[in-house]
Amino acid sequence: MAQDKIKVLYIDDEQNNLNGFKATFRFDYTIFIAVNIEQAYEHLQKNAEISVILCDQRMPDKTGVQFFEEMREQYPDPIRMLITGYTDIESVIDAVNRGHIFRYIKKPWTDTDVRSAIEEANKFYVTNSMLAAKNTELQSAYDELGKFAYSVTHDLRGPLLSVIGALDVAKTMDNIAEIREILGMMDAAVKKLDEFIKNTHEYYNLKRGKLVFEEIDFNNIIADTTAIFRIAGRMDNVRYTAHVSQNDVFLSDEISIKIILNNLLSNAFKFQRKTASDKFVDVDIKVENDSAIILVKDNGIGIHESHINNIFTMFYRATSEESGSGFGLYNVKDALTKLNGIIEVDSVVNEGTTFKVTIPGKANGTN
Amino acid sequence: MEQTDKLNFIVIDDSKLDCFIAEKIIRNSGKTDTVRSFLQAKEALEYIGVAQPEEDTHTIILVDIQMPVMNGFEFVEAFEALPYDIRKNYTVYVVSSSINDNDLHRVQNYSTVKQFINKPLTSNNLASILE
Repeated sequence: MAQDKIKVLYIDDEQNNLNGFKATFRFDYTIFIAVNIEQAYEHLQKNAEISVILCDQRMPDKTGVQFFEEMREQYPDPIRMLITGYTDIESVIDAVNRGHIFRYIKKPWTDTDVRSAIEEANKFYVTNSMLAAKNTELQSAYDELGKFAYSVTHDLRGPLLSVIGALDVAKTMDNIAEIREILGMMDAAVKKLDEFIKNTHEYYNLKRGKLVFEEIDFNNIIADTTAIFRIAGRMDNVRYTAHVSQNDVFLSDEISIKIILNNLLSNAFKFQRKTASDKFVDVDIKVENDSAIILVKDNGIGIHESHINNIFTMFYRATSEESGSGFGLYNVKDALTKLNGIIEVDSVVNEGTTFKVTIPGKANGTN
Repeated sequence: MEQTDKLNFIVIDDSKLDCFIAEKIIRNSGKTDTVRSFLQAKEALEYIGVAQPEEDTHTIILVDIQMPVMNGFEFVEAFEALPYDIRKNYTVYVVSSSINDNDLHRVQNYSTVKQFINKPLTSNNLASILE
């Protein structure tokens, strides 16, 4: 493909050399030529993808080495090669040693020399670019890990230290009712810890796991997910309705879909207004045109405007109501990114929240 | 703080259990019965801003670090911005599960924070505050 040709910039003060160079290599590479340094900069400015630069050493205003020394500050990525005759060998050795240039090409050059030099230089360029990209990735992984370790320490130690503290207090208690009260609180702390560990597990499943696309039956998934809430008593006093309309086959990753639904439902049950008498959670799932639209609606405490933009950030908790791990919606978002899906949220404080998730079936997805 | 001062406590922690434990321990110490717990630092700050402490009373604030919405550091900064006439009635202690060096250093940089106390709060480390 034309776009994949290596982009080469050649600078020489003799127009004949430029013409000859271009004529020889224009079928193999995309060639930019410059008769002076000013022109060379223009090319570099307009073409960020130039990967190899060849420059003649002897030019009127500056030597090739000087040019390279100066331009690499602004354009450090392209691989620099000097074209020169034997007489300049001293300055060449100096330039190579100081790391300014990748190679030098002897004048008069042969097609084969130039071609092999360009190929080598480009390989070096590609490797460097990949390394740079990997480094950026690694850096962000490290940053995330740092943040992760900090929060995990807190979220794992927090409930444990609470229980240790509570045990200490309980030892001095004689009143059974009081002891029961503190046991209930210890129970909640331990469950919070367990939920956090499960969320961490989900997080790593999402990070490391490969997607497995299979037929998704939303009726089954809803039944599985809600059974857990029912057993845990989380649906007590909440009017719950689920409606699924699925006539088509829908291919997606079941684990991701479950993580999404489980977290959205968990939040809907969790963030209810304690005093409300008509608490409800409605789930509506529609599969049509090869995409699934999931609506999870509650009339709970809602999310304040100022927090809406942050709710998908890891460890962000918009409220101290209830035991949020700061993981749930982050995992939802992460799962959706993998599935190429989107999530929208509509919320009014003290009226409720509706999450709308749209997931393309595999045929439309990235994978 | 004068020995003759009557002591009050304010506990700020997003964990209900930790508030409960702190209240129990403070009450068990026999030094005071006035303990107010806040699950949100913002609410505590609002309270401190308008509270009118009785003469000859002093209030000890026990504040957690990692809390949603307003964390312990943000609370201390906001507290430090309050007028001296309000601040002089309080002594702030940070009570946290954090074992992060940055957190520990950061706490030391706040002049209003008297001490960093490791969780869980126990009758022993409360006693060291009350000494």
